[in-house]
Amino acid sequence: MATNPSTYSPSQSSERKQLQQQRRRLFQETDWTRFDGRGFQQCRPAFLKTGAASAASGSAFAAFGATKVIVSVFGPRESKKAMLYSSTGRLNCNVSYTAFSTSIRGQSSDHKEYSSMLHKALEGAIILETFPKTTVDVFALVVESGGGDLPVIITCASLALADAGIMMYDLVSSVSVSCFGRNIVIDPTSEEEACQDGNLMITCMPARNEVTQVTLTGEWSTAKINEAMELCLDACSKLAEIMRSCLKEAASAPS
Amino acid sequence: MTTMQRELRLSLNQTQRVRLQSALQQLEEMTSLASAITVVADTIPVNHEDSILKGHGTSDLNGEVVATLCGVVERVNKLVYVRAQRARYKPEVGDIIVGRVIEVAPKRWRLEINFSQDAVLMLSSMNLPDGLQRRRTAVDELNMRSIFVENDVICAEVRGFQHDGSLHLQARSQKYGKLERGMLLTVPAYLVKRRKQHFHHLENYGVDLILGSNGFIWVGEHVDMNGENHILADQVSREDMADKSCVGQVTQEVHERITPLEIRTHICRVANSVRVLSALGFNLTVEVIVDTVEASISLNTDIKDILAAEFYVQTAEREVQRRVSLSRKKG
Repeated sequence: MATNPSTYSPSQSSERKQLQQQRRRLFQETDWTRFDGRGFQQCRPAFLKTGAASAASGSAFAAFGATKVIVSVFGPRESKKAMLYSSTGRLNCNVSYTAFSTSIRGQSSDHKEYSSMLHKALEGAIILETFPKTTVDVFALVVESGGGDLPVIITCASLALADAGIMMYDLVSSVSVSCFGRNIVIDPTSEEEACQDGNLMITCMPARNEVTQVTLTGEWSTAKINEAMELCLDACSKLAEIMRSCLKEAASAPS
Repeated sequence: MTTMQRELRLSLNQTQRVRLQSALQQLEEMTSLASAITVVADTIPVNHEDSILKGHGTSDLNGEVVATLCGVVERVNKLVYVRAQRARYKPEVGDIIVGRVIEVAPKRWRLEINFSQDAVLMLSSMNLPDGLQRRRTAVDELNMRSIFVENDVICAEVRGFQHDGSLHLQARSQKYGKLERGMLLTVPAYLVKRRKQHFHHLENYGVDLILGSNGFIWVGEHVDMNGENHILADQVSREDMADKSCVGQVTQEVHERITPLEIRTHICRVANSVRVLSALGFNLTVEVIVDTVEASISLNTDIKDILAAEFYVQTAEREVQRRVSLSRKKG
């Protein structure tokens, strides 16, 4: 506590700003090691597992470094009465954060748009014509937010959908990259996301070579975008391989 | 081993794990299952010179047959389809199903039967308790709650699909109707195969077992089909009597309605046997269930220990032996 109460400065926040500026300066240089010791083009180790929630028709758990997500899929089940008849199925997505998902408790509520983005990313991959009049509910719960949340949520959700036995054209995998000055960094952590110049997220169906969603924010040059997209697509197809082996392992259960 | 991890969180010790693995491996070799497992967007190898029919869970991509489901590839003559393990039940006309009433709507009940939509049981497509064949009146409609209310468990038959895809049921026989004094178990629908007989009376245990094709399994106290109307009439007359006479008769009646402890333990034993079989992913037939129950009795296994690690492993080993002896008989 300051001894003189007449003047005061919000020292903590200015300190934080300073720290961030320092980091930023660091990021402009071409050569630095990331906080978790990865290279620029190295993704976090991915851990995937189906069958996380027993009450759901399908579920999956994903842990990419510190980011941990559980997705449960319910349905297809009959749509609510208030909804009109539709010849295709409906997809209903919801993303929520636990109160303890961030380092400061209860500071993770500004992700309202994630639900609609998850919906956009998945609806292209699901064959909605196969379940008319019905709804599939996808509930994603971010247990721990460690950066790159949305790509992990999307990847995990598509795994849960496959586990639920819902018809899909292909698995959906998603990867994001951050841009720092001259550098492109794949699969950013939350510290890196806090001081990035721009972010690109690609969601694609690797086996069919189709992209279901692209989100681009911040400053980018055309050459950079090209480079980043290629990086993303390559990472997506590699991630899909991990997803496949996970599903295969789950399927070889006793039957 | 998903099913196991999902339903029973077992802690196997080292020897049990080894035994389980060897048993499962033998089963796998017998069925040669591993090769047929497919994941979404895998190409299914087919011989393009033969004409093939693409079935459920497949689609076409650049002339290749591609899976749209995770599961096992099945081939029946020309037809190629993918059978998903955790998918919902797909009804066929004539299936016997067990369901739970979720809504009493005008002239109909809505049932949850593990299908993608709710099933509909019309008032007009079931026998009335008085057993008379007649037009359903407005009074019958008002009395629907006296037949089934929400959360009742019902057994019925699939009647057919309406043109809008909704599913209609019927319960036009004495054997269908409300199920009471028992347990409802839910297992993956693919474990129950369609057979001639889905109603079973396990006489040794005084237990009724209904294997619903939708994966809902009912284990309950035995009800005498023919005597039911009789009992109903009996109850009515007794209620009349109770109005008139003393309290002693009422308590007697209450006493009769209670399921005896012995039957209850039998119900639990059968139910746990079904649980362990479904956790192992074995097909549920009445023979296998009775086998498991008998084994649990002869091994002096406690009812709760049927779901424990040791009996789980033993059940797997017993299944191996059963299949070996079956193949020997065939050979």
